[in-house]
Amino acid sequence: MDFQNISRRALLRQTACGFGSLGLTSLLSAAAGANPLAPKQPHFAPKAKRVIFLFMHGGPSSIDTFDYKPKLEVYNDKPLPFKRPLTFAEGNVGNLMKSPWEFKQYGQSGLHVSSLFPNVAQCVDDLCVVKSIVGDSVAHGGASLQLHTGSNTFTRPSMGSWTVYGLGSENQNLPGYITIKPSLSHGGAKNWSSGFLPAAYQGTAIGNAGMKREDLAEPIEYLMNRGLTPDQQRFELDMLQKVNRQHAMTREYDPELEARIQAFELAFRMQTEAPEAFETEKESDATKKLYGLDKEETKDFGWQCLLARRLIERGVRFVQCSHSYKWDQHSELVKLHSKNAREVDLPIAGLLKDLKSRGLLKDTLVLWGGEFGRTPVVQGGDGRDHNPYGYTMWMAGGGVKGGFSYGNTDEFGYYAVEDRMHLHDLHATMLHLLGFNHEQLTFAYAGRNFRLTDVHGVVADKIIA
Amino acid sequence: MIVLLVLLLTGGLSAQTPSGAEFFETRVRPIFAAQCAACHAGKMHMGGLNLSSPANILHGGESGPILSKQKPEESKLLQAIGYQANIKMPPQGKLKDQEIADITEWVKAGAPMPEDKVAVAAPKKKEWTKAQKEFWSFRPIKEYAAPAVKNASWVKTPIDNFILAKLEEKSVAPAEPAGKLTLLRRATFDLTGLPPTQKEVEDFLNDRSAGAFAKVVDRLLDSPRYGERWGRHWLDVARYADSTGADEDHRYPYAWRYRDYVIDAFNTDLPFDQFVREQIAGDLLPAKDGGVNVNGIVATGFLSIGPRLIAEQDKVKMLYDFIDEQIDTTSRTFLGLTVACARCHDHKFDPIATKDYYSMASIFASTKAFKKIEGTVSQMYFAPLVPKAEADKYDAYLETMDERKREMALISEEEADLYSGPLRPKVTDYMIAAWRVCHLGKAEDKQGVDVTVLRKWVEYLRQSAEEAPHLANWLKADASSYEQVAKGYQVEFDAGAKAYDAKVAEWKKKGDTKADRPKPNGVNNQFFGELLMGKGPFTREGQFTEANQKRYDSLKQELADLKTNTPKEPPMACAVSEGSPVTQKVFIRGDAGSPGEEVVKRFPVILAGENQIPVTQGSGRLEFANWLTNPTHPLTSRVFVNRVWQWHFGEGIVRTPSNWGLVGEKPTNPELLDYLASTFMKEGWSVKKLQRMIMLSSTYQMSSQSTKEKFETDPDNRLMSRADRRRLDVEEIRDGMLLLDGSIDLTMGGTLQSGFGTDGENSEGRLSIRPDKVMRRTVYLPLRRSNLPTLLNLFDFGDATTTNEGRSRTNVAPQALFMMNSSFVTDRARNLAKKLVENDSLDNRRRVETAYATVLGRKPTEEEGNAALEYVRSFDAKRGGDGWQSLCRILLSSNEFVYVD
Repeated sequence: MDFQNISRRALLRQTACGFGSLGLTSLLSAAAGANPLAPKQPHFAPKAKRVIFLFMHGGPSSIDTFDYKPKLEVYNDKPLPFKRPLTFAEGNVGNLMKSPWEFKQYGQSGLHVSSLFPNVAQCVDDLCVVKSIVGDSVAHGGASLQLHTGSNTFTRPSMGSWTVYGLGSENQNLPGYITIKPSLSHGGAKNWSSGFLPAAYQGTAIGNAGMKREDLAEPIEYLMNRGLTPDQQRFELDMLQKVNRQHAMTREYDPELEARIQAFELAFRMQTEAPEAFETEKESDATKKLYGLDKEETKDFGWQCLLARRLIERGVRFVQCSHSYKWDQHSELVKLHSKNAREVDLPIAGLLKDLKSRGLLKDTLVLWGGEFGRTPVVQGGDGRDHNPYGYTMWMAGGGVKGGFSYGNTDEFGYYAVEDRMHLHDLHATMLHLLGFNHEQLTFAYAGRNFRLTDVHGVVADKIIA
Repeated sequence: MIVLLVLLLTGGLSAQTPSGAEFFETRVRPIFAAQCAACHAGKMHMGGLNLSSPANILHGGESGPILSKQKPEESKLLQAIGYQANIKMPPQGKLKDQEIADITEWVKAGAPMPEDKVAVAAPKKKEWTKAQKEFWSFRPIKEYAAPAVKNASWVKTPIDNFILAKLEEKSVAPAEPAGKLTLLRRATFDLTGLPPTQKEVEDFLNDRSAGAFAKVVDRLLDSPRYGERWGRHWLDVARYADSTGADEDHRYPYAWRYRDYVIDAFNTDLPFDQFVREQIAGDLLPAKDGGVNVNGIVATGFLSIGPRLIAEQDKVKMLYDFIDEQIDTTSRTFLGLTVACARCHDHKFDPIATKDYYSMASIFASTKAFKKIEGTVSQMYFAPLVPKAEADKYDAYLETMDERKREMALISEEEADLYSGPLRPKVTDYMIAAWRVCHLGKAEDKQGVDVTVLRKWVEYLRQSAEEAPHLANWLKADASSYEQVAKGYQVEFDAGAKAYDAKVAEWKKKGDTKADRPKPNGVNNQFFGELLMGKGPFTREGQFTEANQKRYDSLKQELADLKTNTPKEPPMACAVSEGSPVTQKVFIRGDAGSPGEEVVKRFPVILAGENQIPVTQGSGRLEFANWLTNPTHPLTSRVFVNRVWQWHFGEGIVRTPSNWGLVGEKPTNPELLDYLASTFMKEGWSVKKLQRMIMLSSTYQMSSQSTKEKFETDPDNRLMSRADRRRLDVEEIRDGMLLLDGSIDLTMGGTLQSGFGTDGENSEGRLSIRPDKVMRRTVYLPLRRSNLPTLLNLFDFGDATTTNEGRSRTNVAPQALFMMNSSFVTDRARNLAKKLVENDSLDNRRRVETAYATVLGRKPTEEEGNAALEYVRSFDAKRGGDGWQSLCRILLSSNEFVYVD
């Protein structure tokens, strides 16, 4: 596959043949051909065309949500019968602690869901629950970075950037990769950076986790003009383009100058058309209710989910919603996990139902989870520590089996023991669903070909519908 | 199926070969030797498995035998190579189908082996091939004479001979000389990152002397703005930033001193070899005045300001990831080699062995960049820039403060226990009393119950079962059961008390004064912890016992006194110093948990040879620095002159400036490269002399005008038949605009960042300072790695976490949005327009001319002038806006401003 580089050199190379006689038309098409976000075909027919990642920052506890461990009731308050691995709060953890929540089976599939997620439970037959995710870091920084980029140490392109690098975007008036209210901590922008990939593939942040939705003056920085009317601005742009064309006329054989003229036209279209995507208030009351926009507790994450749906509907390739750093219950597990779940449960169920009814779920991959799970052993009386050794994420739509449970942890929910899915494997599987052989989606940098999956990654064939 | 196929083809092992042992020798042993021996033979027995001899093979590894006599097809060996089990071998990738088939066949045949013979030899020592040793970039630098050229009149400096010779070879004519204005604009942006002022334009246009341009170059090189521009180039390579980037994005509070050092080094034309030595080992070099070598210490910031994790719990991995970053940046920056590729295996393309990598790692592992690698969050090392005694004094002050605080905490904790002691058996009493108050409306009069304490109990018990699940039983209790339930809580409390007392006793026994006294909430008993901590019912209010209160008050006073007499914190640097020497081993596949062969401190063998004398004293940084800057080193000077060339022309002579290995590009003009490198060294590694030589050449002064033929035959301009037009860098766009409207603040140095450590979750502090709020030059804006300003991201600044060998120059719509909509550009346009309009001495035509002259350095043509006048009129009259402001924004956004010809 030919991934076009967007450098000036490449542009020149592409237009090197017979350019002089073709004049402006070819310059224009050269400029367009060099558009790094033009839609591209993957390696093979994809199951999923786009991704929504619902990031539960902090690390929700698997054994209190989707990974039912009846043995924990028996062993409650007993010591862990095997050697405990490295934890974050070394030495401050104690005996096993059963889940304070009740698990029930739901749907045709009969998968277990705890009472924390009563609404998501109604969608369980659409979920592919992966109970055997494995990461390499017990601290948030490394774990979050690895989940987003594959590396827990270095700056690498994020999975959204790889996705857009591979597939381009279906809407040139919007960024191809958008992250809504991302957290500034634990990697911050590195979690949506394009790393060494061209900057065009970096995620565009809509505000940040510290902001209230009401305070978002403009969804994308510099998108809105506050001084000029559209008519004035068009008039100004026409003059600028005239000045630029005149300048280019005396400087032949430089397609870059024409490319910049085109970039202004595209920008003008973007600012006219992009804001519409963010007008969630135009949705019907029923839809707003479906996402919980009418309730204080659910309105923020509900808005994120609804916006995600609007964005992917308009061709954005990769959207991330962040339930910002809330799930880190080293203490007060019951109180805060309950609160967190209440904030996201209804909106997530709303999103799944809405996608399904619009026919979007079948080729949209929804991914849910945190940077790790939490330990079956108690920390500080009423909390749980970090557990990257075996935790749950789930997927829905986008070509994965619904109502399906994949992989397993040991009887206490500590280690993944069956069908382990390392984060590299998750990335490989995600790229596979998007139509890529993860070993061939590469970018040459610093002397070698880099991949999202580094030198690892095995596609979990069993989960593919 | 594959196995079956093989059996069919070969007709089975016994029939095909005279002996099974021979099959092992010819088919299996070579696979073991090639694929497994690195970890399972010689000195390496990973997982306890040694494939060196039949006996050892039969013995298996730590997890038992790898061969099963009873069920050969279930042998662990086959599961591992079949990638069926948790252990997948070899880890670098599955064996070929044929290899798996061979091993399977052998195992199924009962694993026949020759007896008493070493089966698998450890791999031989790595020998580099002749081609590798003679790779072009490793060859010594040669002194080339300037080649003869036909068009001798074009030649201004020897550089031109080298360029013209190639052009003449291909019969390509060099471009015409650039016009004077173009040349001035090019040189001024190149050397200072700013546009020329109107006066500078006039002076140069009026200076008709032969040396006019040389004067300009000297003036620009002498300007302090020069160091800000060229220092920034180096800061790109040095991946300069003001925070760690990783995990919590902690501040590097003193990184700015390194930035200022770099700017100053360029401004003062510090010889480049000295610049290199200082950045690697400046702390080990003597100071000029014999005191503390402040500059030298600050310079080692190069090694300390990389991205790093500090909250990682796998401490060894954390340290070696940091070292890996140092190796990567150092080797790419100075050697143009990707040594870090050899962390897990020998370099795939270049002659860099894993041993070379760990020899370098050994140097950095013996260098101190962390103060403490322990606890949840490790501490970075910062170097004091004052004599040791003075630094120690300050440390002692901090230590005293800590001690006093610790003692105060201890008194509080002891007092808390003293106070709660008599209350401990009364949990039941208080709960019963609280019940009566709440449910029966009884007065607070139960005997032996203190009213104040009871009120706190009532408050405490007023929680929901969801908020406090451990109180669920109590909240469910009714009139008939509450007394019994209360007794149950006494039992739970007592269990907590017992555990707590035991912990305190253990802590006392240890007598470690620096270890914190155990806290009531540290015993996995939430009920107990809550009663004794925070606002819990059994927490003390009021005075301590007399003696303790006295001591406490005096400590408090002492602390207050200490604070009023705070000695000034000595100036510090983000730097490195000598650590404890480490005996480094190779980490098999990069895994610190799999140590292999020991290495010595030395430099990559391909460059420094097999017969190096290893460094045995200290970290080896000084030796490393001296080796790098030895004039016979083939890479250091070449790599740097190539960077200088690239920073002037847009592309280097080697167009992969930080990769001079096999997959890097070859030089377009190797003779010129060597000429520049050798001349550079002969001229005392003077960067400014090198630049003067470059800029005074005809090559530099060519026009950027291309032709159809050149565009078609040499679109990349590898022959250098013309100058390359370039888009301004983000600093040039921002600083340039600030200069034009007069807003720029040219204060040099110092930091705009304040504070230490990191900031609260998602707080504003985690963001970089917005570039439209500060008028300083962009190089002085603090860079929070996790959150670089949008403006920098938009215009290809890079991410400041890896060494940046050159900015990309993209052309995308969001950049246009910045020009059209940002308040930054609007403010500049408004200020410019205001000056035009407020100047009564100007008529409108003169205003247009002034606007053009200010932004573009030239007068408008008559046609342009008319069009602009008409535009302003029309904008004002028909559209009710500010036409002058709009015109200024157009000029600032124009290609003519944003590109340098």
